[in-house]
Amino acid sequence: MIRRGIFATFLLVYGFLVLPFADFMADRPLEVKLGYLPHPQLLKILSADHDLIVAQSAVVKVLFYYGTIVGHFMENVIIRPEHANMYRTLQTATQLDPYNMDAYYFAQAAFTWQLERIDEVNTLLEHGAKYRTWDPWINFYLGFNHAYFLKDYGRAAVYLQRAGELAPENALFSRLAARYYYESDQTKTGLAFLEAMIAEAKDGAVKQTYTVRRDALLAVFALERAQASFVAKVGRQPKSLDELLQTGFLQRIPKDPYGGKFYLDENYRVRSTSKLAGDNL
Amino acid sequence: MLFLVPSFSSFSMRQVQELAITLSLSTISMVLLVMTLLLGSSSIWRDIERRHTASILTLPISRDSYLLAKFLSIAIFIVLAGVVLAAAAAVMISLAATQYPSDLPLAWGNIVLAIGADVLKYLLLSAVAVFFSAVSTSFYLPFFATLVVYLAGSASQEVFEYVSGQFAQQIDPAQVAVIKGVYYLLPNFSAFDFKVHAVYALQVSSQAFLFPLCYAIVYGGIVLGAAVWVFNRRELP
Repeated sequence: MIRRGIFATFLLVYGFLVLPFADFMADRPLEVKLGYLPHPQLLKILSADHDLIVAQSAVVKVLFYYGTIVGHFMENVIIRPEHANMYRTLQTATQLDPYNMDAYYFAQAAFTWQLERIDEVNTLLEHGAKYRTWDPWINFYLGFNHAYFLKDYGRAAVYLQRAGELAPENALFSRLAARYYYESDQTKTGLAFLEAMIAEAKDGAVKQTYTVRRDALLAVFALERAQASFVAKVGRQPKSLDELLQTGFLQRIPKDPYGGKFYLDENYRVRSTSKLAGDNL
Repeated sequence: MLFLVPSFSSFSMRQVQELAITLSLSTISMVLLVMTLLLGSSSIWRDIERRHTASILTLPISRDSYLLAKFLSIAIFIVLAGVVLAAAAAVMISLAATQYPSDLPLAWGNIVLAIGADVLKYLLLSAVAVFFSAVSTSFYLPFFATLVVYLAGSASQEVFEYVSGQFAQQIDPAQVAVIKGVYYLLPNFSAFDFKVHAVYALQVSSQAFLFPLCYAIVYGGIVLGAAVWVFNRRELP
């Protein structure tokens, strides 16, 4: 009887405890959820023959962490991600499994556009390119990063040509390679890349990041086109975007999806007060 | 595996097929490890404790034959389990590959090789477990000693390469010599790991397969020989 009573008490206490416990676990700081991984060499030794699965679980952990932050961002709750820890985790994953495409893909999506940690991402991608010798996408990412962020069109063209050679059926690589060789327009280049990435994206958070960026560049492209028409017709640069509106070259000033306001800077380049960057995304 | 592979493969953004293969191979490896540890660790000493040996060895059966037959029964069980798990894995991998086609082809030959090498690895480990079981009087020594050998044997190649590189200059040469000695003494299970070849359809040289095969036969033979030698000298109740 006493034993049953004790058992029933434990069950009852568990019933009261389980929901607050679940809430506590869900509300843990995101930093705790991302956690910390030991040195890749030690992890490789400890994981025995399960290194590939350990690598994949590290990537999934980063993805879940980032997905939660993107979810908060869409609800206007800004949380500063632990980028250094995210990058370290991805680096560890690629040491355990240098073929893991998810790690390279995610690094390219999360660390280039707003953070502009281009050199670190390129280092990771170079590591991947050594192993994934059949894969055009890693060369595509490298080519794009060199052209769009580093303005190194010569190297960009080399990477994209390699991507084109690996996937001759995909005209985009070759087309971009040609463009980079002739140092063509950056906004257009960015749009072409983003369209390709959106078409390929499977993960909702990643797709959302690219879509917002694409919409921002589309707005910039519309403004640049109107500006170019103004220059061609009037023979000088417009003083402001309002002048484009008043002279009929622009129907309306497009909305910046990052919440800023577009303007022309002192060099007549289209800029936004948001710097085309959502907080940390 | 039937639940694990479809539910977890979809977590991958760009390599669902690859993840399905990784999960399948890791599950097979884990299941075979548990089987090997449980079967190998509870073989000889338990027969002695329950006095089965007292009745069996009165028959015209030598101790050598008894121990080798014991190992063979475990080996057959592991091989059959490997075949059943491989069939289940083939179904799950095919489904994942059909749902989310990859840029990489499905290298069935490599997948079969990876599972075959895993089975071979656990046959070798079961020989180690039988050896510890032959010298033990309880479950704990064979179980934990075999587990330690498995972990050390899986890590030995990494450690060997680490101390053979630049790091060796920072540590005592005597320590390096000991580590290298232990490396040659322990079974090298890294040689049986073809998972990355199976997952990413990488080419496998015939040498990469034949060396581990010969190694398993020779090393397994030595361990079983030692087990027979110890068992022949053991006092039985």
